[in-house]
Amino acid sequence: MTTRRTAVPADPTQLTVLTEFLREFGSAAALAPAQVGTFELALEEIFLNIVMHGSEPGITPRVEVALNRGTDAVTMTIEDDGPQFDPLSLPPPDVTADLADRKVGGLGVFLVRKIMDTVSYARVAGRNQLHMSKRLDG
Amino acid sequence: MNLRIETLAQATCVIPEGRLDFDAAPGFQETLERTLGGKPAALIIDGAALEYVSSAGLRAMLLAARAAQRAGVPFALCALQPAVREVFDLSGFSRIIAVHPDRATALAHAQPGRA
Repeated sequence: MTTRRTAVPADPTQLTVLTEFLREFGSAAALAPAQVGTFELALEEIFLNIVMHGSEPGITPRVEVALNRGTDAVTMTIEDDGPQFDPLSLPPPDVTADLADRKVGGLGVFLVRKIMDTVSYARVAGRNQLHMSKRLDG
Repeated sequence: MNLRIETLAQATCVIPEGRLDFDAAPGFQETLERTLGGKPAALIIDGAALEYVSSAGLRAMLLAARAAQRAGVPFALCALQPAVREVFDLSGFSRIIAVHPDRATALAHAQPGRA
């Protein structure tokens, strides 16, 4: 079992820090590049969602990321102490709209739901907690 | 992310190399807008060296595709790596933006009047 944990302020400049953190976990946990890429995408989308929805004037939430490789799945938990916000409550984008009408809002979370096997949200002790998992054989 | 631009007779090719994430998307979008401003015969994004795209990158492509349509410039992607192609397919973008297997096919389709 390989586990990593880190914390950063919800600031877009921290995205590169998180990407490096994830890559280090990926090599320590011996994940295939495609698996690392899947989690990179989920981490970027959820982190930026927190940056955009979680910040209030003068307040920058703190974001904690925990990664774990178990025997048959990789899990990622992203927590923040920003205002209550459930990204899974966002309406899904209309992916059948044509070019002129296509909107991009909500696309990030939509992609996360598609590429992960499970995604769940909880508000725990004043923190938003998003838990994701993907089977290693998937 | 590094961006290369190749100007051919029948199209201008933009070649993003590496990661098209939130950090890279604004520069990518600006390059596409600038390229479209030069009224190319067609605009092709060659994804052979593109390793990663997030919704921020998709947004830049969507805006460019829309601007190209308004300007009457054929717009297409080609040679997407499997991981990038998957994100394109999942988001439904492959249905609204032409994606070709390789650059030669993209160039063959890049004729005025065909999007």
